[in-house]
Amino acid sequence: MEIHLSWPQALAGTLAVALPLAVALFLLRRFVRAGRRDGDSDWTVPAVDGHGHGSSFFHRWDARYKLIGLLLFAFAAASLTSLALAMAALAISLAAALACRIPMRGALRRLLAMSGFLLMLLLVIPFTAASRPGETLLYFPGLPGLPFHVGGLLLALTIVCKASAVALLMEPLFATAPLTVTLAACARLGVPESLGRMVLLCHRYIFVFLHEMSRMYRSMRVRGFVPATDLATASAVGNFLGMLFVRSFERTGRVYEAMLCRGYQGTFPSAATFAATAADYAKTFFWVMSGAALVSLDLLRLAPW
Amino acid sequence: MHISDGVLPMSVTLASAVVTVAGVALSLRQVRNEELPKIAVVTSSFFVASLVHLPFGPTSVHLILPGVVGALLGPASFLSIALGLFLQSLLFQFGGLTALGANALMMGLPALLCGLLFQSLRGTTLVRHGIAGAVCGGLGTLLAALILAALLALAGEDFFGVAKIALLAHIPVFFVEAGVSAFAVTFLFRVKPELLAGGRPGR
Repeated sequence: MEIHLSWPQALAGTLAVALPLAVALFLLRRFVRAGRRDGDSDWTVPAVDGHGHGSSFFHRWDARYKLIGLLLFAFAAASLTSLALAMAALAISLAAALACRIPMRGALRRLLAMSGFLLMLLLVIPFTAASRPGETLLYFPGLPGLPFHVGGLLLALTIVCKASAVALLMEPLFATAPLTVTLAACARLGVPESLGRMVLLCHRYIFVFLHEMSRMYRSMRVRGFVPATDLATASAVGNFLGMLFVRSFERTGRVYEAMLCRGYQGTFPSAATFAATAADYAKTFFWVMSGAALVSLDLLRLAPW
Repeated sequence: MHISDGVLPMSVTLASAVVTVAGVALSLRQVRNEELPKIAVVTSSFFVASLVHLPFGPTSVHLILPGVVGALLGPASFLSIALGLFLQSLLFQFGGLTALGANALMMGLPALLCGLLFQSLRGTTLVRHGIAGAVCGGLGTLLAALILAALLALAGEDFFGVAKIALLAHIPVFFVEAGVSAFAVTFLFRVKPELLAGGRPGR
């Protein structure tokens, strides 16, 4: 079916889609920005486990089973092909993000971080999707050679829902326990312990280096550095990164030697103990089953669209 | 550019996750215990460097630097890239958790190749190092963009347009990366040349 839109129809349709989206993005931006604090604090890198101690549904869930249950659900959600089911997954994830009772700013910041990529998909896929027989094509006035595929728009919306669903699960998954506990749980599930140790080291170093970088960059700006598109900028930034790296390397080398002096033998002592209860099994069962239900409905094509 | 969750079909997602897990396991086995802190340092400093945005004409690009990671870490660069991407997903949601495998392949394979290439190109002079840095920096980004486009194309005909746009969007990054990598490598050559041995001791 081909529908040729008139100017008023095209304008009204575009506005009906773009306006709510723009308003939502604007509000999201304002809300996330409002959370930034001034001064020396590192607002740019949120400590992932800043709210790791709590008593919500997710905080009380054994970290090993939480990883299994939520990861399986995340993969199930990412595999969906139907828009209705992707929206259902998004609703479940949203409920989870609310249920973990930590400030929503972290979750919203995640959505904002993805918004550029997802907007690009929303804009590009409808105009470039493959042609299928019998599909609905909209022709915008002034764009005779560039049909708008309604199927492509549905596909892009499905992706937006799935990506947001998995992103909203990140806070319940990683922010509801101290990072050390989550990593110890990963180790119990068979992830090499050295990998967890490196995640822990990196998570710490990132804050340190970020602070170092902002100090160095500030002093560059004070000395008159203005980034532009030229070789001088490339040279300044290249040297800046090289210096950042050398400083970081020497600093962490000293820290490592100090650790060795204090008896570090390649492992961090972990006080995490795990004991799963019936409630943990029930929670895991619930999440695995909801993931399985979504996937089977999707495979059987039982959803309306 | 990072792929977010739900873009690639499950088959591609799972296949790339399997390859990434195998790659990480392989590089973990080769890495000695005392090298782990160095890998963590490189990972974190490039994580931080990837937050630097540089203007390119009217837009801005952010650095990825797979070429320099390859030059610094050699065979361990795949591990470092996978780790860095996991942290980016964990902290910022740059790239989805389920798409981690695909993203790690996209950036990790170029880093590995650039590491090998850098060792054979670098020679002993400052100029050679600059050229090797520029080639690896540019090539790393180019390969990453090509793998990204290939992964998107695997997702089906609906994504060909996205793949083309992703390739075009990487053209400015390509130039910026080549320039910055060249200067970063020559800086390291002058200040601490032993770091550029690519994880090989004794060079």
